[in-house]
Amino acid sequence: MKYIDFPNLGCRPSTEFVVAGIVDPEPTELNDTSPGEWVFNRDSLPMRRTEWWYHTPTQLWFLVERDTASDEIFDVSLAGDTMDG
Amino acid sequence: MSIRLLKYAFIEDWAEPRFFNTPNELSDSYDVVVIGAGGHGLATAYYLARDHGITNVAVLDQSYIGGGNTGRNTTIIRSNYLTEEGVKFYDQSVDLFKSLSEELDLNIFYSERGHFTLAHSDATLRTARWRAEVNKHYGVDSEVVGPDEILKVCPQIQLDCGGNHEILGALYHAPGAVARHDAVAWGYARRASEAGIEIHQHTKVTAIDTEGDRVIGVTTPRGKVKAGAVVSAVAGFTPTLLSMVGLTSPIEIFPLQACVTEPIKPWLDTIIVSGSLHLYISQSSRGEMVMGASLDPMELHSRRSTFEFVSNLSDQLLDMFPFLSQVNVNRQWAGMADMTPDFAPVMGTTPVRGFYVDAGWGTWGFKATPISGKTMAATVANGRDDDLITGFNLARFGDYELVGEKGAAAIGH
Repeated sequence: MKYIDFPNLGCRPSTEFVVAGIVDPEPTELNDTSPGEWVFNRDSLPMRRTEWWYHTPTQLWFLVERDTASDEIFDVSLAGDTMDG
Repeated sequence: MSIRLLKYAFIEDWAEPRFFNTPNELSDSYDVVVIGAGGHGLATAYYLARDHGITNVAVLDQSYIGGGNTGRNTTIIRSNYLTEEGVKFYDQSVDLFKSLSEELDLNIFYSERGHFTLAHSDATLRTARWRAEVNKHYGVDSEVVGPDEILKVCPQIQLDCGGNHEILGALYHAPGAVARHDAVAWGYARRASEAGIEIHQHTKVTAIDTEGDRVIGVTTPRGKVKAGAVVSAVAGFTPTLLSMVGLTSPIEIFPLQACVTEPIKPWLDTIIVSGSLHLYISQSSRGEMVMGASLDPMELHSRRSTFEFVSNLSDQLLDMFPFLSQVNVNRQWAGMADMTPDFAPVMGTTPVRGFYVDAGWGTWGFKATPISGKTMAATVANGRDDDLITGFNLARFGDYELVGEKGAAAIGH
């Protein structure tokens, strides 16, 4: 079992979380064709990126920086700390 | 030892020819370059030669043939899907599979087992009825059966599943089958090779070369190759390949794990699937229990396997078949699955002329091997999507024309 150190939570098993994918902010302008592309298309490449992680027991959202090739986790922060809402 | 084998020990010239050619040199140019020598890529090459007379074809693979998801799936073949596009497509695949041993002159050990998709709740039973009706409408043999009929075929099953997930019924699909996946890849490779198609293993494509909106070739560590058309059939690596031509897609890569136990006496001659318990199980002709569960919970471009997978799977499995508690797991492995939001593949033409994709095969690709090859070959030969796959084009996402096949996915998601 993989344990990860989270702010506010301490060391928690990764199975308590739902990973909701890459942080992908809404574009400021959407032309005629791009909404469908923005909704569905993903850059699923092996890379270091920031993801949304949801902790089911406490209903807290986190931002997790993870490498999708090695599964290594670099940085964890409470979502509200760094982003609006 | 058989006399046939013993005979070869005294013959200097090995009587059995190699299965497929392994040319030393890459040509400067091919009519078609297929990236990925798995079942899909090799089948595409074979049908290009058989149906369209296109033989100046090279199949390139970064590793060895059938070493990706072709050799990592649990070999289940079925056509009990939920949408019109899906049912028609997979039904033709099952038909091709039935005659594939003769077609390839190689025994692929195609074995019809019958396929139960268990329902543990009223909601699942409702989806099962829906699927059965769609299937019957298109002439596919599917029906909803009750617990008694399941017990008749598989008396070992515990219908109460430990008390929490009582089995209320199942969708039964009589044509559900298994086959040897390696034989499918090798059989297609041999046939394609006989037609003059070149198979280059350990030849990784590092770039796809374009001119304007047209593909002109590929770059490999062994040099540049010109190509009239390029087909990407690289489950698990599709986003990387697409990024080489500046395309994006909804495909995300998740690991899917599977395992086999030590061989035991034959007891299970059917295929049992439970989406709710995240479990599917069949018994191989060697007697191993072949099992899988659900996708790993997060995106990962890696084929590492985990202990959590086996422990979670065993937890569910033992509710259904407690007597397996003493059976050892021999091997476990993972493959990288191309997941799409609607659980349907991405096939056919792309905005880049001459660049075709056969991707998005998630957890359902092996059963589609023959028909994918056939329709992709027709698509490449005619320069437009084959009628059977128009619904699977990459453009469907931008147009919000999704296919909606999640209800028929065997693997929990």
